[in-house]
Amino acid sequence: MMSNFYTSDAGDMRNAATLQTLYKISEEDIQYIRGLGEFMLPQMDHMVHTWYEWLMTQPEYEQFFADSRALHHAQKMQHIYWEQFIEAQLDDNYVESRRKIGETHARIGLSMTIFFAGMSIFHDLFSKIMAQRNLKLKEQVRTIDAVSKLLHLDTGIVCEVYTIMSNETITAQSRSLMEMSTPVTQIWENILLLPVVGIVDSKRAQDIMNAVLSAINRTQSRIFILDISGVAVVDTAVANHLIKITKATRLMGCESTISGISPAIAQTMIELGIDVGTIKTTANMMDALNDSFRSLNLQIHKVER
Amino acid sequence: MGYSTKIMDYPKSIWIVIHREADITRSIFESQRMAQSLGFDHGRAQMIATAVSELARNIIKYAQKGKIIITPLNERRRSGIEIICQDTGPGIPNVDQAMEDYFSSSGTLGLGLPGVKRMMDEFEITSIVNQGTKVIIRKWL
Ligand SMILES: Nc1ncnc2c1ncn2[C@@H]1O[C@H](COP(=O)(O)OP(=O)(O)OP(=O)(O)O)[C@@H](O)[C@H]1O
Ligand SMILES: [Mg+2]
Repeated sequence: MMSNFYTSDAGDMRNAATLQTLYKISEEDIQYIRGLGEFMLPQMDHMVHTWYEWLMTQPEYEQFFADSRALHHAQKMQHIYWEQFIEAQLDDNYVESRRKIGETHARIGLSMTIFFAGMSIFHDLFSKIMAQRNLKLKEQVRTIDAVSKLLHLDTGIVCEVYTIMSNETITAQSRSLMEMSTPVTQIWENILLLPVVGIVDSKRAQDIMNAVLSAINRTQSRIFILDISGVAVVDTAVANHLIKITKATRLMGCESTISGISPAIAQTMIELGIDVGTIKTTANMMDALNDSFRSLNLQIHKVER
Repeated sequence: MGYSTKIMDYPKSIWIVIHREADITRSIFESQRMAQSLGFDHGRAQMIATAVSELARNIIKYAQKGKIIITPLNERRRSGIEIICQDTGPGIPNVDQAMEDYFSSSGTLGLGLPGVKRMMDEFEITSIVNQGTKVIIRKWL
């Protein structure tokens, strides 16, 4: 019973039974909530309607429900939601349905503030409707307590999924930013250039390796300049990747130069004790380019006009 | 092992759970950002971030998961940054050996731990086999 949106390991994915224990929802609580059915179900229309009157006073209403079809759909979903709530069948399907709601809210960008406020308004409506019932005070208090617990459980799940989804968006964004930037370019006959920006993790290193080796194969270039001035950190793992890349290009007859060794990177590499061996390095890309022209017996002249 | 780090003890800390490669990225950015906001220059902030990256990688590589706590230090006469990296992984049987240059149980460079020690002002490591490893590093402004 797993749909793919929350298979992520980024959040809390406790199952129904564990959550029920966590929120201390007893069988008695469940009976109290179910006991509401008879009284509450006929009032459901009224409750949802009153809730939407509240929502209408909020800017979100215009934003999300300007279209009457969307409004109608949301109201229908809300009916189902509260029916499930009163049935209080606390199994994994129940938890799943709450996660779906969290996913929906995150997707449309409804704020947590309005969600929490909305749940609080519902809680209030519950209490008001309960008060119309001729129950002993103790019964009434116990029912409201039970409702509160389940409402909190619901809210917690929605909040968790919301967080996971936001985290995943951030991860995906930074990943796509990193992936955008492995364009190996032939900047001159025989010369390839790749400026690397950001984080070099193992996947990125593999991407760079593949991109460079296939570019060498395609262009028969003899020099590869790998500019790392935009790399966030050069630790032993990154250094190891860079060394491997240069070794691989050399096997294909293409000498690599690592350019853009800033003073900070140089010092870090010294402290780490990384030995770059025979790999050519330069402070900036221009030096690397000049060296490349020299070794290819090329000269750049200024033309008199 | 006394690994019970309480959140109350570190009111201004950033806690990062490390269990996948993306968390390393986050620990790099957060430590670099905090170092720079404390007044470390670009080069020294990068060194701190590199040390954190190194320790975070060790967590993923040898212990699968752990956590990193980055804390600003404000003492009366000096300020700096402290980073705690702890895991409940397999531990290191011979810490002295692990601290040597070029010692690696996994065939990589083996420069991580000794390199981190060189980059930082203070370095403490405690490790118990089958219980875990805790490294505390500090750098002063
Ligand atoms: N968190 C840890 N848990 C268990 N063992 C560890 C941990 N960190 C380091 N070690 C052990 O200490 C050794 C030395 O670590 P160090 O970081 O110096 O080198 P490395 O990780 O092997 O290689 P490099 O960091 O240069 O890529 C490791 O090979 C490993 O056996
Ligand atoms: Mg290491």
